[in-house]
Amino acid sequence: MHGQSIFLQQIVNGLTIGMIYALIALGYTIVYGILQLINFAHGEVFMVGAYLGLLACTLLQAIPSGPVGVPLVITAVVLSMAGTAALGVVIERFAYRPLRNSSRLAPLITAIGVSFLLQNAVMLIFGPSDKSFPEILKVRNYSFGAVTLTNLQILIAFTSLLLMILLHIFIKNTATGKAMRALADDSIAANLVGVNSNRIISMAFLIGSALAGAGGVMFGMYYNTINFHDGYLIGLKAFTAAVLGGIGNVPGAMVGGLLIGILESLGAGYLSSEWKNVFAFFILILILLFRPSGLFGPRIMKKV
Amino acid sequence: MKKISSSSWAFLIILSFITGCGQGTPEKPVIKIGCAAPLTGDQAQIGIDTCHGVQLAIDQANEKNASSSYKFEALSLDDQHNPAQAVNAAKKFVADRDVLAVVGHFNSSCTKPASAIYHEARLTQVTAASTNPEISRQGFDTFFRVAATDDVQGPRGADFVAKKLSIKKVFVIDDKTTYGKGLADEFEKESRKLGVIILGHEGITQGDKDFSSLLTKIAPSNPDLIYFGGIYPEGALLIRQARALNIRAAFMGGDGLVTPVFIQLATPEIAEGTYATMVGGDMKKLPSAQEFISAYEKHYGKLGQWSAYGYDAANILITAIQKASQKDRETVLRAMREIPKFEGVTGEIVFDEKGDNQKQFIGIFKVEKGEFTYLGPAE
Amino acid sequence: MKQQGLGAGHYKKKRLRKLTGLDISDHVKAFFLFTFVLIFPLFDKNPYHIDVMVTAGIFMLLALGLNVIVGSAGILNLGYAAFYAVGAYAYALINLHFKIPFWPGLLVSGFITALFGMLLAFPALRLGGDYLAIVTLGFGEITRIALNNLDRITGGPNGLLGIDHPTVQLPFYKYDFGVQSEPYYFLVFSLVAIVAFFLKRLESSRLGRAWVAIREDELAASCMGVNLGWVKLSAFGIGGFIAGIAGCVFAAKQGTVSPDSFDFVVSVMILAMIVLGGLGNVWGAILGAFVLSLLPELLRGFDIYRMLLFGIAMILMMILRPQGILGRKINLIQSKTSS
Repeated sequence: MHGQSIFLQQIVNGLTIGMIYALIALGYTIVYGILQLINFAHGEVFMVGAYLGLLACTLLQAIPSGPVGVPLVITAVVLSMAGTAALGVVIERFAYRPLRNSSRLAPLITAIGVSFLLQNAVMLIFGPSDKSFPEILKVRNYSFGAVTLTNLQILIAFTSLLLMILLHIFIKNTATGKAMRALADDSIAANLVGVNSNRIISMAFLIGSALAGAGGVMFGMYYNTINFHDGYLIGLKAFTAAVLGGIGNVPGAMVGGLLIGILESLGAGYLSSEWKNVFAFFILILILLFRPSGLFGPRIMKKV
Repeated sequence: MKKISSSSWAFLIILSFITGCGQGTPEKPVIKIGCAAPLTGDQAQIGIDTCHGVQLAIDQANEKNASSSYKFEALSLDDQHNPAQAVNAAKKFVADRDVLAVVGHFNSSCTKPASAIYHEARLTQVTAASTNPEISRQGFDTFFRVAATDDVQGPRGADFVAKKLSIKKVFVIDDKTTYGKGLADEFEKESRKLGVIILGHEGITQGDKDFSSLLTKIAPSNPDLIYFGGIYPEGALLIRQARALNIRAAFMGGDGLVTPVFIQLATPEIAEGTYATMVGGDMKKLPSAQEFISAYEKHYGKLGQWSAYGYDAANILITAIQKASQKDRETVLRAMREIPKFEGVTGEIVFDEKGDNQKQFIGIFKVEKGEFTYLGPAE
Repeated sequence: MKQQGLGAGHYKKKRLRKLTGLDISDHVKAFFLFTFVLIFPLFDKNPYHIDVMVTAGIFMLLALGLNVIVGSAGILNLGYAAFYAVGAYAYALINLHFKIPFWPGLLVSGFITALFGMLLAFPALRLGGDYLAIVTLGFGEITRIALNNLDRITGGPNGLLGIDHPTVQLPFYKYDFGVQSEPYYFLVFSLVAIVAFFLKRLESSRLGRAWVAIREDELAASCMGVNLGWVKLSAFGIGGFIAGIAGCVFAAKQGTVSPDSFDFVVSVMILAMIVLGGLGNVWGAILGAFVLSLLPELLRGFDIYRMLLFGIAMILMMILRPQGILGRKINLIQSKTSS
């Protein structure tokens, strides 16, 4: 009985962080699908989202008759998403668009430059020490059998799933969503039928960054301490998730995120907690070696 | 004549431009005291606290001796609790001839390699916070320590747990640094001797955020107490995540936890009831401390536990420098060795031949009502 | 064809060129560099400044090594700091456990790191472009975490202490480099000179040309008979060897090694150095390393803004002059059309 409950608890822990990985992974996958660009700075957008969430929470709490509890959380998430969406669009416009027709290396290095820029800007503005979120939600435990859930975890799961469903509907049914898929499939053909590349690409960055921002706020509330360094590792793991699901594949990114979260949690619980961060990298390397198209991606034939 | 290619010219011009920009510093009648600690990064708060203490001591000394022929100046360098950077900082201090003494470093993993550099340069070094006993066992006559050592802190903590709290089952966690692992190992050794059951001993990585997997693994064995050898960022996360998983064990650590930031990061409600050993007692009870506390709070705001240690360390060095007949490193070192005892705001300080503080005082603190409150001395 | 006077100078130049295999522009640059290196310690005796130059020298070695992999062979490597770490820890371990002194240690850590590099290259043989970059990054991180976790071997986050400095056996006296900076200064720049010379010669060798071939178009190269596997492996091997000796020098100089010195920022720094100097260009690597090592020292008052400015500089550089200072407008790595 004990063994089973630990196992389930580890799954629950993994799913929570997995939701956040999924939100960030979606940003990577959408951008890569259209531009074949690994947006290295995406992890930092996530980190900025966490800080914006901190600002939002602190400000909203200061309003005397303002929202509290769950409505406050939702408001903070929305505000942060708006902020990161804008940031994403700006980054694309000024750092990536000028390089759209150059080699592969240039945007990668630029992305690394943007990443450093964001990290250090945040460090200079907010200070180098860890920052903690104010107490918004009183953490309550709910026990189902021997598994413990907190109200925060439930809220994170709910919000993430909602966002993912909204995204799915958007991509499937709206004109912009279809345009994105068209661009990802065949950019030349899409342009020929009148798809405005620049606008759609900006949209892609907007959506991806907004999702990362949401992930950031929830991450900040869940762990309570945020630091300007958080973006790097989480970004890398989320990228692994995107690749695991098949990079360019939207449902794949969602599944990939959850899977990475669970695998990490199980690995840390049963094998070794010290090596937790390594599991994600190992999975990444294994996928790239043996199945680079990921779980849901197309089988890539090597051209001769 | 064959033309030199434009790339060669570019190469030359850039080379000469870069090197032309170096200047030497003009001479000033200044005596510098270095302060080496993590000033940026996740442990910045305790580093900044320490160096503020040093700065205050120096400002006060300058005020009191406005008529003397020299002026004190603090030179703070960041080591980001990284041993390699600590070595770099040490070399910088050594290269600056105005530096006659250094308060540093904070983390034992930094102080240890740096001490070799200071020893080679005959530069006096006083650490305000490094508690690992091995540092003073290296035989460096330039090394001094104001804080107590972990081979005293760990066992006294174990004593408290076994006898005062009557705890039977403990799980030990450490952050694998020189300090954290050293402290946790000492605690475990003594606890076993006192008959406490150690359910397990695991390591975590500094900088990590998610310990829920580890804690989930620990939960079924139902420890009465979780002992953590490490620093406050990870400590706060551990206790938060433990409570979220419904682990009701008491939580205890060493001096690395003792700072208001720990309570802030863990939230006062969750931090309530946490125990910690500290190298020193209740400052508020010492009359000499009152002036210090009010002066510090006027300049820098909230007092951190480590500010007082930085302050005392700097003041001992100032005393030695003032006593030294010649203002050079070797004479200052000799003067240090000749100080019989020193009354600081953290208590009495007497150095033994190894440089350790003979008057090692370990106090037990507990978080009560959102603050670290002094319970009493550890036996 | 340029008209050249056939005086005595002409024959001297020709002989020199035959001797070294390099051309005039290289000789000129080398001459100025040598002079500068020899004269500098005479003018600036500040031990800290010399120390900074030593660090610059170590980064020159690293830049030269990474340039082989990324610049010459066109294989993007984002985890080069891991190679550097392997070299440093290799020397630390063989020195602490087997008492192997510095000079043989230099070669041993070079070879160990070369081996490590070649093992890492196996997945590189099949992957292309972006994915490869991420794999190398992953390996870099895994190495750093492993160094942090395997504390019984590597000392964990505290690292290893008590590594021997280089010593030279003179008649009647054993000269220990100790913690002074001057001996390391001359050691490092001698190594830079040797490595740079070797790499320059390699450029016009069969292997060097093979690298250029696979960099420009892998498919065409393999059709012309270039063995992709071996060529890529040798790039990693040589790049690894150079990182290994750089790491060994670093470890011997510091006397301690810890995982923090080998994180992702270091990998990016070295990459930035060769991109700044001009990819594929030996002199570019040296220049880039020199500039980027010294920049933080010159901006000392702006310490906290350093990384911020660095990020901005990287962005601007890619937008304005992606080929770096000494680079030609060549096709950087694999373009979008190749797989």
